[in-house]
Amino acid sequence: MNKMIKEALLYLVIGLLIWGMVAIFSLPKAVIIGTVIYHTFAETIEIIIAVFLLIGLIQVWISPQQLSKILGKEAGWKGLLLASIFPIFMGGSLFTLFPLMKILIEKGASFAAILAFSVACGGKIPLLPLEIKFLGIHFAILRLVLIIPVSIIIGLLGEFILKKWEPTKGKQTRNGGY
Amino acid sequence: MGVGAIYLLVVGILLVISSIRDMNKTKQALKVTYKMSIMIFPVFFFIFVLMGLFQAFVSREVIAKWFGYGNGPLTVFLGELVGCVALIEPPVVFPFAGFLLEKGANYGAILGFVMTAILIGIVTMPLEFKLFGVKFSIVRNVLVLIFFFIMGLLFRVVL
Repeated sequence: MNKMIKEALLYLVIGLLIWGMVAIFSLPKAVIIGTVIYHTFAETIEIIIAVFLLIGLIQVWISPQQLSKILGKEAGWKGLLLASIFPIFMGGSLFTLFPLMKILIEKGASFAAILAFSVACGGKIPLLPLEIKFLGIHFAILRLVLIIPVSIIIGLLGEFILKKWEPTKGKQTRNGGY
Repeated sequence: MGVGAIYLLVVGILLVISSIRDMNKTKQALKVTYKMSIMIFPVFFFIFVLMGLFQAFVSREVIAKWFGYGNGPLTVFLGELVGCVALIEPPVVFPFAGFLLEKGANYGAILGFVMTAILIGIVTMPLEFKLFGVKFSIVRNVLVLIFFFIMGLLFRVVL
C-alpha cells in the first residue's frame, strides 16, 4: 500500500514538474495545459467518482473467491462461456487479476477458459460511462458486443496452439468436447 | 441533470441497497473506492498534463498523420504498439483515447490502443511470464495483438 502511495505521488510530482518546466519556457503553453487539465477534470469528475464507487461495490459483492468457485468447477463449453462473460463486469487493471487467473488454473480451469477470461477482462463494463463519454456509444457497444466472441475464439485457438506446442504437458484433457 | 449526475444517482441507489443488505460489505466497498481514488487520481492528473502537452505542442496534423484515416490499416497496429507501452490504468485509457480521437485518430487505431493498453503491459510482462509461463504468455499476447488488429480494421471501416 505504501509503495502504491509513493508511486501515486511520483505521478503527481512528475506531472507538476513537466507542467512547471513548460511554464518556464512558455507561459501561454502552460496555460493551455492548465485549461486542458481543468476542463477534463471538470467534465469527468462525477463519472470517475461514480465508476470508482461501482468498482468498489462489485469488488465486495462479487469476490474472487466466489468467482473462482464458479469458474473452476464448470468445465467444457459452460466454463468457457462463463469465463468469457464474467470478467467483463470487472474493473481494475489486468495484472491485478493475474492472481485470480492463477487460482483458476490451479482449480483445473482449461487453458481456453483462462485465455478467454484474460481477454474478456478488457470488456470493462464498470468503465462504460467513461467510454461512452469519450469514445461514443457506438464504439462502446460494438466493442462490448464483440469482445465475448473474440475471447472465446482466442481461448480455443490459444489452447489448440498450446497443446500442439507442448503436447506432453497439456494441462487439461478432460474437456475434450470442444 | 447531466450524465455524470445520473450515474452518481444510480450508484447512490446501489450503495443504499448494498448498505441495507450488508453494512460491513458496503464499508469495505467504500474502502476499496477510497484506496483506488488515492492511487489513480494522481495518474489521472499525470495523463491530463500529458494531454495538455499534446494540446500545446503536437498539432492535429501530426496525430492525424500517424493515426488518421489517411494512413491506412497500419494505424491500427501503431495504436496497438502505443497501448502496449502505455503504463496507464484502465479508467485513464478512455480519456486519453478520446483525446486522440478528437485530434484526428481513426476508430481502428483507437480500438488497438484501448485494447492493448488494457490487455498487454510491457512492464507487467515479467510477472506474467513468472505466473503463467513463457509459452502461455506469448500465445496470449500475440493472439491479442492479432485479433484486435482485425477488430480494429473493422472499427476503422464501420465507425
